[in-house]
Formats: sequence, structure tokens, C-alpha cells
Amino acid sequence: MLGAHLAWLASGGLAMNERNGMTHENADFYQLSGWTVILLLVLFYGGTLLMSAFIGKKKENADGYMTAGNKLGFGISAASMTATWIWASSMYASATSGYTYGISGPIHYGLWGALMILFIYPFGRRIRAVAPKAHTLAEVMYVRHGRSSQLMLAGSNVVGSLISLTSNFIAGGALVALLSPFSFGQGVIAVAAGVLLYTLWSGFRASVLTDFAQVLAMLGAVVVIIPAVFFAAGGPGMFEAGAQNLTPEQSNFFSSEAFLNQGAPYIAAVLAYAIGNQTIAQRLFAVREDLIKKTFVTATVGYGATVIGVGMLGVMALYLGLAPAGGDLNNLIPQMASTYLHPILLGVFLIMIIGALSSTADSDLSALSSIMMADVYGQTVGKDKANAKTMLLVGRVTMIVATAAALYFASGQMSILDLLVFVGALWGALVFPVIASFYWEKVTNKAFTVSVVVALATFLPVRFGWLPMDGAIGIVFDVISVVGIGVVLGLMAFGFFGLKWAKIIAAAGAIIAAPFAIGNLHDYAVLSGSLVAYAVSTVVCYLMSARSTMNFDFDTIKQRIGDFDPDEAATSTADSDVAGHTAALK
Amino acid sequence: METLLLTVYVLIWPVIVAGTLYVISRGFFKEWAESRREGRSII
Repeated sequence: MLGAHLAWLASGGLAMNERNGMTHENADFYQLSGWTVILLLVLFYGGTLLMSAFIGKKKENADGYMTAGNKLGFGISAASMTATWIWASSMYASATSGYTYGISGPIHYGLWGALMILFIYPFGRRIRAVAPKAHTLAEVMYVRHGRSSQLMLAGSNVVGSLISLTSNFIAGGALVALLSPFSFGQGVIAVAAGVLLYTLWSGFRASVLTDFAQVLAMLGAVVVIIPAVFFAAGGPGMFEAGAQNLTPEQSNFFSSEAFLNQGAPYIAAVLAYAIGNQTIAQRLFAVREDLIKKTFVTATVGYGATVIGVGMLGVMALYLGLAPAGGDLNNLIPQMASTYLHPILLGVFLIMIIGALSSTADSDLSALSSIMMADVYGQTVGKDKANAKTMLLVGRVTMIVATAAALYFASGQMSILDLLVFVGALWGALVFPVIASFYWEKVTNKAFTVSVVVALATFLPVRFGWLPMDGAIGIVFDVISVVGIGVVLGLMAFGFFGLKWAKIIAAAGAIIAAPFAIGNLHDYAVLSGSLVAYAVSTVVCYLMSARSTMNFDFDTIKQRIGDFDPDEAATSTADSDVAGHTAALK
Repeated sequence: METLLLTVYVLIWPVIVAGTLYVISRGFFKEWAESRREGRSII
């Protein structure tokens, strides 16, 4: 997601902590003993390993490994959506937003991230109706258009998931280094090994089941930690004593600075991440079709309240006049926890962050393995010729290679995070062509590909300031950005209210925004770049498709995408294996 | 008044999180019990 927490990572994020010497600031933090941390990690990863062993089967099913048989219940899928969406970076970034922009900061981070989940559920229902047995969105695009559109989605997800995996390992290593006597490298290896161990055998099935335990740990910790810090830090009195620490903008709940720098780029990015990211698509294909709405609404509330709640630590730090250790805003949350929490609650805090990063890391591993299984192996040999055993092997080898690669990147050998901005831009450019491809039979492969490439080419000079924006060029890009505002609002409205209202809301939004945006918007490169990508891909895709003679039959997708491994035994009636494992556990 | 509002603003989120956790947990354990009754795996 171009403007959101991934961009925060790209601009510094946790990766920089270690390289800039975050661990040298350890004197500012209360440290848990080495044995306590080992015990906590063994309990956490041992517990999740036990859970995955409970549902593991000697002979896993290839489709189950990717989508758990397309019939997940509400509890597991809501937990999984929530856990996957919340990662360590979202907690750190929300607190940073609270500290930087004041009382509205966490809202401008968490609310838009949460709405992201809500806005895609109508599209999710359409996608499931068109492709009920799909494993990846890229797989659907292959049938709908061909290889180039599939490659764009699959390729961006491989890079995106590797980046996410790397950043989660880095977050784990940095936290362990801060709160324990262990080093960054030891922390990274412990987290990577823990996540790989419980995900490797059962893939997505293990990922979603353990998400429930991780949600319990994360959300349970938030329920306890926020009030604990609040009262330990002085309770309501801190708002009176520390009011002078805030600027008028930071005290204003309707701060325009917070909206333009934090909230607006997120709104522009809302659909991009949700539509482009395989970890979300995978859960969309896994949940029982009639539970999509309930699941997504619950995850919206869960994500929003958790991330905004953690962001309150940043607001409290601002009122308390707390300076982040080493001047690094990423230290804020650990610093608040370390300063105000009892050592037992500090252990709970450690598990909260480890839970957040592990649930996202296992989703990334599952996403990567599914792409390699379905989009690379499956599409290369063909659905009917794919060997389920080979497919599972491809999935498991992918997880091992991805973990090794992420460890390599986390060690600082190569700054993969720099690629983040391109992945975000690609997803932004893909939003309209992907959504249109599920509704409009006239969209062609050429329109899809050309619109995305042109949008990316237009995005780059805006995002990186390659052109002088102080004259007519700036005005031109502002006008394009206003079109982008209309596109974003229109797409969001389309999912809920249909085409007629989408057009009205898009036009009204663009007209209302124009007087404020033209002449000013190019000063906000992140926001402007995203909007330009939306606008260009939409206009080009529309113009090229409107003239096409294509009349795609959506039933083709249902006919061509199905199970790779028809062995039903593994997905729903694994009684004998479960019984065996249960007996073994006893 | 402002102090009270800010206090509510900070503490409301853990309350909402607790409610969400209850809804998710209830759903999970209900499905778990169903799957046990029917003799199949929960996933």
C-alpha cells in the first residue's frame, strides 16, 4: 500500500533501527531476563506448533494447503483477517502518527486501514461468485486476460510478501534486542524459525488456525496494556499537566495537517493494498461465501480498534513530553511499555508484538507458496496435469527459500524495502483494471497491461519529483489527481451502491475537491503520486476497453479454475489423521 | 470536560477490542464444538 504503513517502512521503518544503532539505546529500556524471553518464545511458538500439529495430516491436500477448502467458518476467518491485517509495523506507525500529529493521528492511521477491509467486501463477494474455486487473484487474471496481467499481480505479490516478511523479521529482531539480553540477529532467527516451523507442513490451514491464538494474544494484550499504561502514566491528569506539550494542530481533532499528510494518502491507498495483496485474496477465497460480509465487518472493527488503541500510546507519550530514545520514533511503543508496565505486563507486550508480526509473516509465507504452486507450477503444467505431491513440494520449498531470502535481506545485505514504493504504485495502478475485469466484459488484456504500465510511468516523476512542479506541469498533475480523487470515491461507492451512484459520487467528489486541490496537491508527492496512478490507469483502461469488441463470458473462469487436488479426504474429513495426531499429542 | 472526553477517547478502544475479541472467540468455539460433534476437523 503506497501511502500506508508499508511506505512508512520504506522511508525508514524498523529496518533502520538496527542499522542506526537502535540496540545501543538499550540502557533506556527495562530488559526481561534471557530465560524469561526464551520461555515466552517457547510458549508462543510451541503453542502455535502444537495447534498446527493438531490439524496436520500425513498427506496434505494441495488445495487445502492454499485455501483450506474454501469453507472456513466465521470465527477462524474473522480472526485470521484481523491478525493478518495487524502487523508490528501498523502498531508502531499508529503510535508514531499519534506522537507526530496529536490526538487525531491514530485515527488517520487506523481508521483508513480498517475501512480498507470494509470497502473490499462487496468486490470480494463478486470475485468469489465469478471464481469460487480460485487460489490466487493472479490465477483468475490469467484466465480472464492472459500471462502479462497474471505476471503483474503475481510478481508484485512475490516482492510485496518478501518485503513484508523481511520487515516482520526485522521487527522481531529489533524488539528482542531492545527488551532482552539477546542480539538482533538471534531475535530474527528465533522469529523466522518459529514461524516457518508451524507453517511449513500445513501451509494456509496452519496459518489461519494459529491466527486465532495470535488474535487472542494480540487483542487480549491491547485490552490490558492500554489502560495499564494510561493509569500508570498518571491517568486523566496527564491531559491537564501535559496540554502545553501539544501544538494547536496536535490538539485539534480535525487537524488538516494530520489529514493531508497522514489520512489522505491512506484513503488513496485504501483499495490498492486490499485488491492487490494475495494475503487478503487468499482469505477471501477461503471463507465460506455466505460469511464474507460478517467476516470483513468484524475484521474492520477489530483492526481499527486495536491499531487506533495502540496509537494512543503515541498520544500519551506526546502529553507526557516523552522524547523517543535516540530520537527514533519507532522506539516509542517499547519505551512506553518499558517505562510504565510491570515486568509481567512487559512480557505480555512482547507477546503482543511477536503475535502481530508472526501472524503476518505466516500469511506471507502462505501467499508466496500459493503463488508458486498455482501461478507458476499449476499454470505451467496445466490444471489437469498438475501433480498434487509435486505441488505441495513446490509450496514447502517456496516457504523455506522465502524464509532464507528474508533472513538475508533482514541481515542488511540488500535493502529490499526500497522496492516497496514500486509495489505500492503497481497495486494502485492495478486497482481499476482488476476490478473492471470482474464486472465489465469489454476489458482486454491489452487495455489491462497498457493502462498499468502507463500509470506506473506517470507515477514515477510525480512521486520522486523528477519534474518541476511549480508551473503548468504542477497544475496538469493536480488536475489528473482530481480525476484520481473521483476514481477512488467512485470505486468505493461502486462496491456498495452500483454504477449509477458511483458516477454521481465520483463526479461530485472531483468537483468539490478541485478548487482546493488544483494548485496545491502536487506539494504532497505521496498522495499526488497515488492519485495519478489511479487516474491514469482508469482513463487508459476505460478508453481502450470501451472501443473493444470483446465480450468475455465470466462463466469461463468457473469452468477453467478448479481444484488441483480432487482428493477431498484432506480438506474436510480428515478424521483418521486428526485422530492419529490427537492420540500422538496425548 | 476536555479531560473527561480525552480519557474516554483513549480508553474506548480497549473496550471495543474486548467486544470484538468476544465475538471472534464465541464464533471460533462454536465452530469448534460443531466440528467435534460432527467428528470432523475444524479446518
